[in-house]
Formats: sequence, C-alpha cells, structure tokens
Amino acid sequence: MAVRLFFAWLVAVVSLVAGVASLGGCAGTGRPRVVLWHAYRGKEEEALRQVLAAFQKEQGVDVEALAIPFDAYAAKLEAAVPHAHGPDVFIDAHERLGSYLQNTLVAPVGDAVPPADVATYDPAALAAATVGGQLYGVPLAQKSLALFVNDKLVPQAPTSFEALARRGDLPKGSYPVAFESEGAFSHAPLLHAFGGRMLDDAGHFAATGPEAEASLAFLLGLRRAGAVPEEPSGALVSELFATGKLSAVVSGPWFLADAKKAPSYRVYPLPRLRETGDARLRAFLTVELALLAPEGAKNPHARALARHLGGLASARLRATVGKQVVATTAAWDDPVVKADRDLAAFHEAATESVPMPTSVSMRAAWVPLDQAIKKTLRGDASPHDALEEARARFNDAMKPPPPSPSPTPLLVALSAVLVGLALLAVKNAREPGFPSRLRASLPAYRYVAHAAVVVFVLVVLPLVAGALTSFFAGTRNAPQYVGLTNYVMVLTARGGPLLGSGSFWLTLLVTVLWTVVNVTFHLGIGLGLGVLLSRPLLRLKALYRVLLILPWAVPSYVTALAWKGMFHRQYGAINALLHVLGAEPISWFSRFSTAFSANVATNVWLGFPFMMVVTVGALTAVPKDVLEAAEVDGATRWQRFRLVVMPLVAPALLPSVVLGSVWTFNMFNVVFLVSGGEPDGQTDILVSEAYRWAFTRNAQYGYAAAYAVLIFGLLLLGSKAMQRLGRGAEQGAR
Amino acid sequence: METSEEVPRAARPVRCEARGVKKAFAGNPILRGVDVVIPEGGFSVLVGPSGCGKSTLLRLVAGLEEADEGQIFIKGKDVTRAAPRDRDIAMVFQSYALYPHLSVRDNLAFGLTLRNTPRAEIDQRIREASDMLGLEKLLDRLPKQLSGGQRQRVAMGRAIVRRANVYLFDEPLSNLDAALRAEVRVDIRRLHDRLGATSLYVTHDQVEAMTLADTLWVLNGGLVEQSGPPLEVYEKPKSVFVATFLGSPPMNLFEGALTADGGEVFVEGQGVRVRADASRHTQLTPGRKVKFGVRPHDLVVAGEGRAAVGELHVELVEALGFEAYAYGWVTSAGPRVIARLAPEHARRAKVGDVIPVAAELERLHLFDAETGRALP
Repeated sequence: MAVRLFFAWLVAVVSLVAGVASLGGCAGTGRPRVVLWHAYRGKEEEALRQVLAAFQKEQGVDVEALAIPFDAYAAKLEAAVPHAHGPDVFIDAHERLGSYLQNTLVAPVGDAVPPADVATYDPAALAAATVGGQLYGVPLAQKSLALFVNDKLVPQAPTSFEALARRGDLPKGSYPVAFESEGAFSHAPLLHAFGGRMLDDAGHFAATGPEAEASLAFLLGLRRAGAVPEEPSGALVSELFATGKLSAVVSGPWFLADAKKAPSYRVYPLPRLRETGDARLRAFLTVELALLAPEGAKNPHARALARHLGGLASARLRATVGKQVVATTAAWDDPVVKADRDLAAFHEAATESVPMPTSVSMRAAWVPLDQAIKKTLRGDASPHDALEEARARFNDAMKPPPPSPSPTPLLVALSAVLVGLALLAVKNAREPGFPSRLRASLPAYRYVAHAAVVVFVLVVLPLVAGALTSFFAGTRNAPQYVGLTNYVMVLTARGGPLLGSGSFWLTLLVTVLWTVVNVTFHLGIGLGLGVLLSRPLLRLKALYRVLLILPWAVPSYVTALAWKGMFHRQYGAINALLHVLGAEPISWFSRFSTAFSANVATNVWLGFPFMMVVTVGALTAVPKDVLEAAEVDGATRWQRFRLVVMPLVAPALLPSVVLGSVWTFNMFNVVFLVSGGEPDGQTDILVSEAYRWAFTRNAQYGYAAAYAVLIFGLLLLGSKAMQRLGRGAEQGAR
Repeated sequence: METSEEVPRAARPVRCEARGVKKAFAGNPILRGVDVVIPEGGFSVLVGPSGCGKSTLLRLVAGLEEADEGQIFIKGKDVTRAAPRDRDIAMVFQSYALYPHLSVRDNLAFGLTLRNTPRAEIDQRIREASDMLGLEKLLDRLPKQLSGGQRQRVAMGRAIVRRANVYLFDEPLSNLDAALRAEVRVDIRRLHDRLGATSLYVTHDQVEAMTLADTLWVLNGGLVEQSGPPLEVYEKPKSVFVATFLGSPPMNLFEGALTADGGEVFVEGQGVRVRADASRHTQLTPGRKVKFGVRPHDLVVAGEGRAAVGELHVELVEALGFEAYAYGWVTSAGPRVIARLAPEHARRAKVGDVIPVAAELERLHLFDAETGRALP
C-alpha cells in the first residue's frame, strides 16, 4: 500500500516539475528563439550582450545566450548537440573544427556567409574556417601571440629578435625576453621562422628535420646565454614584467591585464629573426568562429544570428567594447578602432600568423613536442634525438585501432555471467522457506531501495560503462570493438620493452614505489605527531591540532600549486633555503629522483594529518590502566609504545593505511600539478598515465579505460591482501 | 630443578613506608600528611570512604603519581622520585588491566620478559603461578575470552610471577560477585602467607579490610584516622568516624550527657540510659556532653538478668537466618536504632512491637560530643 502511495506521489511530483518546465518553455512571446553558447567573460561578454541586444531589436528574434566555462566547453557540446539539447549557434576556436566535424557537431554556414560577404572578412580567417573546401563558421576574431615590451627599456620597435634578446646592458636578475619557452605553443613562432611546421598536410607529425632542429638549437642558445628565465610559468612572467625585470614578453591578448600592471608597455607584432635571413617569427593564429550546430543550420534565424555576429556593426562593437581583434576588415577603418594602439598591433600580428591546423591529430602532437623541448633544454638529448622521439610518440599515439575481432567471445562471456547470476537467483529462490523469508524482509527492501538505486546509478553503472569502454577504440561517435586488444597492448607495453620508458609495468613500479614511500611517511609522521598530541601534559594542544590539520583542510590542488612554486629552480623557496645553507640550487624537475622527491614532499604534507587524526582517535581507546600496568611491570616509555600501544592501535590504523594507500595510488592532483610527470613522463603514476592516454594522446578513451580497469583490479587485490595481512598479524599476536 | 610443590617466595620480605606524604590534585588536597608503615611481610589494608585518599596513597607507593611532599621508602631506600620499574613492585588493578592483545601466558610473561628473565625461568614461574591459581587451561586464551573471576586470577598471577618486593592491590575484588569475592578473598590471604611478601591493599569493603589485614589503616579526609590490628580498631575505635565506618550494620549512636546517680555515672540521652563502666574510663565528669554508641550486636532483648536501657519501637525486621536485626526508634526524635534479635525472638518479632533492649556494658563506646574522639 505504502509503495503504491509512494509511486503515486513520485509520479505527481515528476509531472508537476515537467509541467512547470514546459510552461517556462512556452512562456515566451511567441517570437522565434535562438540559443547561443559562448565562453566570453568581462568586456567580451559585454560587447556580445550589446551585439545581441541590437540583433533582437532588429530581427524580432529572442536570443538565449549561455556563458559556458571554457574548460567544460567541448565536453558539454559533445554531450548536448547530438541530442539536440545544445545551442543553435556557438562561438569557438577554429582549431577544434576537426574534432567537431568528426563528431558532427557543426554544419556548413550556408547563407550565414553569402557570397557577397566573403570579401568583407580577413582571408586568413576565412581560410582557417574552411575545411575540405567547405566554410564552417563566421569569422569573428583572431588571436595570436605578439610582443609586449617595457618601453622604458625598449623605447623603439626592436629591429630583430636578436637585437632584443642579445642585450648585455640589463641589470642582474633581469632578462631581455620571456615566453613560455618550454611549451610547444610558444615555441611555434621560432619553429615557423626556421621554416618548420608541426603537422604536414596529411596530419602527420612534421616538427622534425633540420628546420625544427635549428629552432630548438636556437632556443637552447637563448637559454644558455641567460636571455630567457628558466621554468617560465605565466605567473612568474607576469611578476617579472610588472616589476620591470623583463624588457619583453611574447604572449597573447590574455597578457594585456598583466601588462597593464607594468609602469608602461607597448605591443608590437613579433619581430624578425636575423638568423633566418629576417624571416618573421610567426605564431599560431586562432580564429574565433560563430559555428552552426546541425540543428541550428536548419534554422534561418540561427543563420541570421551567425551572420549578424560577423557583420560590421557587431565587429565595431566587439572591437571597441570587447577589445577583440575582429576579422571583419571594414571595422579597421573605424577611427575609434584604428586609434587603439594595442588592438592595431595585435591585428598586425594576426595577419603575420599561421592558422592553427584543424586536424584532430594536433591533439596528439602538443605533448610530444613539449617533452622534446624540455628534454633538449635539460641537455638530456640532442634536438635531433628529442624530435625523433617526439615523432615516435606521436605515431604511437596515432596508431590506428587494430582490426575488429568478432565480439562473440565478449557476448558469450557476458551471457555466461548473466546466466550464472540468473541460475544463482533461481537456486536461492528454490530453497525451502525462501518465499516466506522474502516476504518477511520486503519492508527492509523498501527502506534500502532508494539507496540501492542511487548507488546503482551513480556507482555501478559508470563502473560498468567504463569497463565496457575498455573493449573499444576510436571516437565516441565511431567506436570500434577491439576485444581485449587494449589490455594486451597495455600489458605488453605496446610491443616495446616491458620496462621501457612510459610502459605500464615501469609506471606500475613507480606507482608502487610512490605509494609505499608516501604511506610510510604518512604513517610515521602521523603516528609520531598523534602520540605527541595525546600527551596529557602538552600545553596549547588544541592550537597545535588545528595547525597540524590545516594542510588537510586546504584543497589539494592549491597545496600542490603552492609546492610547485616552492620547487621552482630560480625563484622557489626551497632553492632559496638551499642557497642560504650554501648548497647549489637544484633543478627539481629535471631528474627522476628530485622530481619524485618533490612529489613525495607535497603528498606527505597533504597526507599526514589524516593519519595523525586517526592515531589521536585510536590512542584514546588505549586503556590508561593497561599502560600503568605495563609501567609497573617495568616497561620503559618506548617499550610501552612498542609492546602495548602499537598492538592496540594497529587494528584501528589498518583500515586507514588501506584507505591511504588507495588514495595515494590514485593521487592524480599532486603528480599532475607538481611534477606533471617530469622529467619525460618518468614520475607519472598509473592514473596520470591513464589521463594522458585519454586527453593528450588522440583521445584514446578505450585505452585509458583499460588502464582504469587494471588500476581498479590492482587496488582491489592490494586492499584484500593488506586486510588479510592485518588479520594474520592480529592472529599471530594471539 | 624446582618442583611445583615448592612455594615461590619473594626475594626477601621488605619494609615499606610512607612518611608525611602530601598530595593535591589541581589545588585539591587529597593526602594531607600521611604516615604508613608496613613491616617486612606485613599485610596492610587501607580502608576508608570514597575520596579519602587511599587509592592515591597506593599509586604514590607504586610510583604512578609523585608525592608533593613527604617520602616513600621501600627496603629502606628513598624511592619517592623513582620510576615504578625501579621500585620492584607488583600491582593488581581494580579493572585487572590485562593486556588485551596478549594471551594469558604472555600477560604473565610480560614483566619477566622486560627484565630479560631467561625463558626457562619464565616458563617455570608461569607453571607455578598457574598451578596456584588454576590457570593451566586458560594459558592460551585472550583476556576477552575469560570470565571476570578468571581475569582477576590472571591479574593475580601476573603479580605473583614477578616475585616482587611489595604487592599492591587496588580494590581487586570490587568487580566480582559476592560469592566469588569471598572465595578470592581467602585465596589472596593464603597467597600472601605463602609468598611472604609485603602487601598493601586498598578497599572500601570493611569485610575485606577486617579479614585480610594484619594492620588496618583507616583513612578519612586525607589523614590516617586510626591504625592497628583489625579487631583492635573494631573494638576500640578512637573516633566516632572509625566507630561508625567499621561494622555492619553500623553502630547505634546517641547524643546525651553524663549524669551522676548514687555514686555511679550514667550516660543518658535520646530515651536511653546506660550505666558507664568507670573501670574503663577516667574522665567521667558528670554533665559532660557525649556521644555514645552501641553496636547492633551488643543491643539485645532485655531479660534474663539484663536490665533494659530503653524500649525499641520496631519498624522493620531483617531476618538473615542465623540472626535477625530489628530497625526502629527509641524516641521518635532520636536516631534510627538497630538491635540484634536472637533466632527465637526473630520469629516472633513484628512491626509495631515495643521491645525492651539491653546493652552489653563493656561494649559501650563513649566519645566527646565536640571532638568526636573516644573518652579516655
């Protein structure tokens, strides 16, 4: 009866909610409606708002503009558009076109750019939006790297990059120029100036050969000459520029806010490189496009909106209010736009840039090139070897999925499992007294039903879905069943040496070492502090306890980033400390041992408070008179701890050790944020390696899922083994 | 090789002493200058109400607390600041304080192992102790698998195997049921006699105190109220406190004054009039305000040559089988009075009866009304 009532109530609530929602949907003015997604913030969002207001007034169409966080943008599109829940029009960078096309998230622009409009756009921007002869977006704005100079130090436009970089008149601690030299994106201008490129027309890795090698050698020369700071993170560069310690920075429009903190600055297009016969440094160009989703392309109002966004009036607003480097050429004749010095410089820089390839293989090219640059700068490999290795990595990641085997064995196995479960259920049901027992416990099932449903939907289903993913390769839209191939490839190190660089087995060894070292420190420090905090005579106990729990209370990524900063080669607190002690500064992330230690230090800092809290709790359960009995029996303080306290708290600590081991085994944040796998992926653990397969190596979700399933299995076995060990030890004590 | 028949004795009986010991917790004085001497091989019992400081004194002797003032001597050596393990003592705790993670055998061996006693010697002593206490079959069990009585015996065994100089007992029987308590009480005394060690025993149970002690130390408010052989303390209490604390049911206590009548001195008050025994007291000044006490045992039904000292109005009769107690009052404004009834009276007595009661003269206890001290 109660069940029926409950369901009636549920149905009523659901229909009420649905009714209200549909009312909300219909509650418009009856005017046509277009949904627009964007990732703009601040001035750009304001400009867009004004543009949309004009459009709505002019065309009598309602536009629902939704600002989506940049990081989640692609994922949300991929989830929403195929089910027609997504936008009609969305604004995104052109280099994602390849991936969007693969997933059919975009459609050709059609009459959003009628033939008459073509001439009004920057040809480079139009080219960037064109794939296979089809135009897939209305160009809105262009972004590329430019040169920010401190015009106190560099009063005139530099004649060449060398003239800028090779100046000897700067005070100590200052640098002529800074850019994120360890990343492939910032290295691209040099690569292009030397005549190299990242991908060839067929989408293969092309940053090899004499041109690319020369660009790396040139960068190495800059670093050796002290022309660029080491480990130049964005925060560091901005800090140096603001304090006048940098004469120039190569960066994009996003650096403007930081540049304004400096006393005075000026923006120029990237200079020429004398070494290459005055070829210009040419950065990658990103063109922001108004794209049409397949549903939107069918909607004339959506096409009208896209056209309006790229139109002259919109471009003027976006340039003057949003400070965008607009792709509508006529807008640059506007006196207000023309008068904006920074904007004009960015515009000039954009015209000299190389449009970023739209090929999906770019996703697999960034990280190998990053690694090659870092390796060269560390002096671990020659430019040639480093780039060849990068190509090998790229090719490995892009290896096409193996031919599909027959899915029959999997289906047979799944059916066998299901049949087995069914037989088990039948066997249980046929046991005498089962029906009456079932009836008796029906009320209990009712109480746990909602929890069971929640656990099934939120835990079991994703787990099963993840496990099933591991049997597939290819993209989400075109998955290809590969059977156990992913597992075989993982476990055979993709045909390379079993303990070769980046292999599953080597990473597993590193992960086990990582877990053991961390948990040992967690336990040691936590236990020590827990015992100290439990001493009855300790003053200010509450204060110490709060202070010691703090590392735990701070979100782990904040801590990880703080520690990352402390390990900076030039500006980190730890090297400063070493300097005071008279030691040489250490380049923490250039060797496995030091990078691993840096990770461990961070994770120990994060992890010991948990063990400490558990210890304090467990110690309160040790009876005082038992300790006194030991004292009377003649035990010293250490003997009491070792022979009485430890055996009594160990059973309480064991579950925490198991838990701590699992957490550490999967401690993605620290590894990803502190060492980032440096050097060369050596400090990566299994979970960060899985991440790289999914997100930096051509989106191999199936392969990453195989890693995840293996991690799950390992942890399951590990926890069981530890529990058995603990139980054995307990029995041994008897 | 020793046989199990041989009695393991303490190394040599020693003397244990506390001199002028004071101890306060958070400014609260618990012990206010206590002197206790336990002679070689003596069995001293500290007894007193809750909060009198008896457990604190024991812990000071054990070294689990440190005295604020005064000294503790064991074997003539000042151990006031010494750690417990340097005092060579063994202790039985009220909660038994067995090591929960160790078997009975390992519980017994714990202290010996710490002192690097040879393995053979440890096994030998465990065998002896388990023989004495009947622990043979329990040696491989964990404490949680034992009953209360068994745990208590293991705690005793842990002390015995140590062959310590001084044995300390902190209310070791209070967690046992009454029948077991009586049994173990006897065992403890017997063990003490066999071991010949010096023992200090804390209890609030006067039956334990009376039956176990060579010397009884009655503590009250952090001071020793009276000490001596138990019967002496029972029979000649030096104060109202000792008189009423010892004995069950408690002593009947009346307030009154001394009066002279025909060359004799009487104690009179609250409906009772008794002749005082001049041969036992020297300061029977008529008119002096006194308290006088008669133990229920000594207040019996008058008759057969025993003159009544008052009339008891019975409110309740408690029959214990071998004897009975009548509860009631002599004057309605006076104290509750308890009298012993012989079995033949007990059967007839009922609520509402008025029974003439007589007192054993020589068992009358006289105290000064103001100081509470016994009249000389």
